[in-house]
Amino acid sequence: MNIKASFFLARTSIIRGNKGTLAMTILIMTLAYVNLIFISSVFGGIVEAINEQSINNLYSNIVIAPADDEIYIENKDAMNSIDTIPGIVASSAHYINNTAISYDENHDGRDVQQGKWLIKSVDVADETQVTKISDSIIEGEYLEDNDRDKIVIGKEIAGSHGGDLDYLSLGGVYVGDQIDVKFSNGIKRTYTIKGIFSTKNSQADQMAFITTKEMESVLHVYNLASEIIVKIDEKGQEEKYIEQIRQAGLHDEDIKTWKQLTGFTSSASKSFTMISIILGAIGTVVAGITIFIIIFVSIVNKRRQIGILKAIGMKENTIILSFVMQAIFYAIIGIILGVSIILFLVRPFFIDNPLDFPVGWVSLKITFNIIRISNISLMVAALIGGFIPAFRGTKESILDSIWG
Amino acid sequence: MVLYQHFEVQKKVSLIQYGAKPNNKTQMIIEVKKLKKTYEGKVPTYALKEVSFGVKKGEFIALMGRSGSGKSTLLHQLGLLDSPTAGQIIIDGTNIVSFTEKQKSEFRLKKLGYVFQSYALLPELNALESVYLPLMLTGASKSQYIKKATEMLEKVGLGERIYHLPKEMSGGEQQRVAIARALVNDPAILFADEPTANLDSESSETILKLFKKLNKEIGQTIIMVTHELDDRKHVDRVIWLKDGVIKPENT
Repeated sequence: MNIKASFFLARTSIIRGNKGTLAMTILIMTLAYVNLIFISSVFGGIVEAINEQSINNLYSNIVIAPADDEIYIENKDAMNSIDTIPGIVASSAHYINNTAISYDENHDGRDVQQGKWLIKSVDVADETQVTKISDSIIEGEYLEDNDRDKIVIGKEIAGSHGGDLDYLSLGGVYVGDQIDVKFSNGIKRTYTIKGIFSTKNSQADQMAFITTKEMESVLHVYNLASEIIVKIDEKGQEEKYIEQIRQAGLHDEDIKTWKQLTGFTSSASKSFTMISIILGAIGTVVAGITIFIIIFVSIVNKRRQIGILKAIGMKENTIILSFVMQAIFYAIIGIILGVSIILFLVRPFFIDNPLDFPVGWVSLKITFNIIRISNISLMVAALIGGFIPAFRGTKESILDSIWG
Repeated sequence: MVLYQHFEVQKKVSLIQYGAKPNNKTQMIIEVKKLKKTYEGKVPTYALKEVSFGVKKGEFIALMGRSGSGKSTLLHQLGLLDSPTAGQIIIDGTNIVSFTEKQKSEFRLKKLGYVFQSYALLPELNALESVYLPLMLTGASKSQYIKKATEMLEKVGLGERIYHLPKEMSGGEQQRVAIARALVNDPAILFADEPTANLDSESSETILKLFKKLNKEIGQTIIMVTHELDDRKHVDRVIWLKDGVIKPENT
């Protein structure tokens, strides 16, 4: 094999070949590459949106639950020390209660809409640092610390606010309406709806919130928690912080990461990841076939030239390498242009115009890993797609190549 | 003339390296023994039927005959472009029939030169690149192959057109580029397959005179397929073929 001659032939073929064909080939390679990145990034974005919804509206990064056989977390010193651990942004303690909520629009005992939902209590100052429910108010306002007879409810409880479970809702309540809540200990209270929120997570939208003081007055407990959710500044490092939280004194509590708690969403994430891998593999095969066709057409057109090259003593390997080099060149240019298009055109566009999916606003999640895998995929596709037709083309006899 | 002598010395060296003996006007450079070529099919075609002949080093030979007589088939067997069904082809003392594809490539590169009927130049290579490509394959340095290819193009009268692409040259000029390419590695034998078939009479005469000059001045062995009877005046000997068999010239 003569690498120098292969490079020379590939270079002259690219530089002096048909410019229109070259442009079309590069365009196809670029689009094949953009397709590889785009599909993976969209699905990556969907998975990211699912995860973000869980983190922002349900679990934050870490959830601390009471130890087995305990109803509440009672270690006040440890609870108070969580926020002092470096890297922990904030924590928010919740009381959680299974309640029955009802709405009697005409106050006549007829046509009462009711259902069972979870109510969580929040310390507003802490909660707003840990979750984003307060940013998702679509009607009215979020709670304030001193609110006692106010409640904030999700759209799936309210009904008529674009939820998916209207048939299970209160049938359409609005800010200012009064609803009755029966807590698990039998206490009944009436609350005025202060706000209605809508996240893109239906599990979150089936919850309601009152203040911690109000919940403590109902449950007759103080300075305890049914759960503590913890926000950290470095997503992915949850295990490290769990260890530090345990060292702070919460030895027996049940501490989990958000990932461990996302049952449905986790399986959905896995499914999307699987789909992404499958589509990526198909995209790679399509890119490989595209390169194969490009090189195959090139070889059909250069059949006679291949015969001439063999006749003057060029080895088959040298000829094959020249075509593989061309294929790799197309792939490299496709990658460079594709990355440029993705990073400077497509990504900014989707940041400004995210896709509205049921799981949330989805932008492209372009990671170095996706780019690296796509680069390797396209290069491998170019190698195989270039090699096979070149190998077949050079195996033809010299006379058949030259004279057909 | 000095340049020709330089090439001749190089050619002798390359032949010696390949196990051949130095130039000798009586030395047989090609020996063909009972060569057969049959194209298999529903009805087999016997293109060559036990052809035997020899070619001395420095001879200029024309293979002539009617269409279908087997002259091109014979040239292809001699030039390792095709494999015979049976028989022996001994070039410079080596039976080439049993060569592997790799050995054939090597042999074609270093010992044989080809000029095809229809120029057979790569459209993307200019004259200089077309000529130095075989030298590049031998591993020569860039300065060496550019120098020698330039000299070769000057020798065939194209010193002023070395950067022209095939589409920018006439048919005669393209064929001269092909000849320069065929000769640039100092081949032991130059094969030409109807090299003037696509040329006008003036260009044809130029090419044949060039062959004659190469033959006389550097002793280049040339085997040329032609169907033009007038071409006989340029060659040392004619091998006549009819139905795959060599016939006496007067028949």
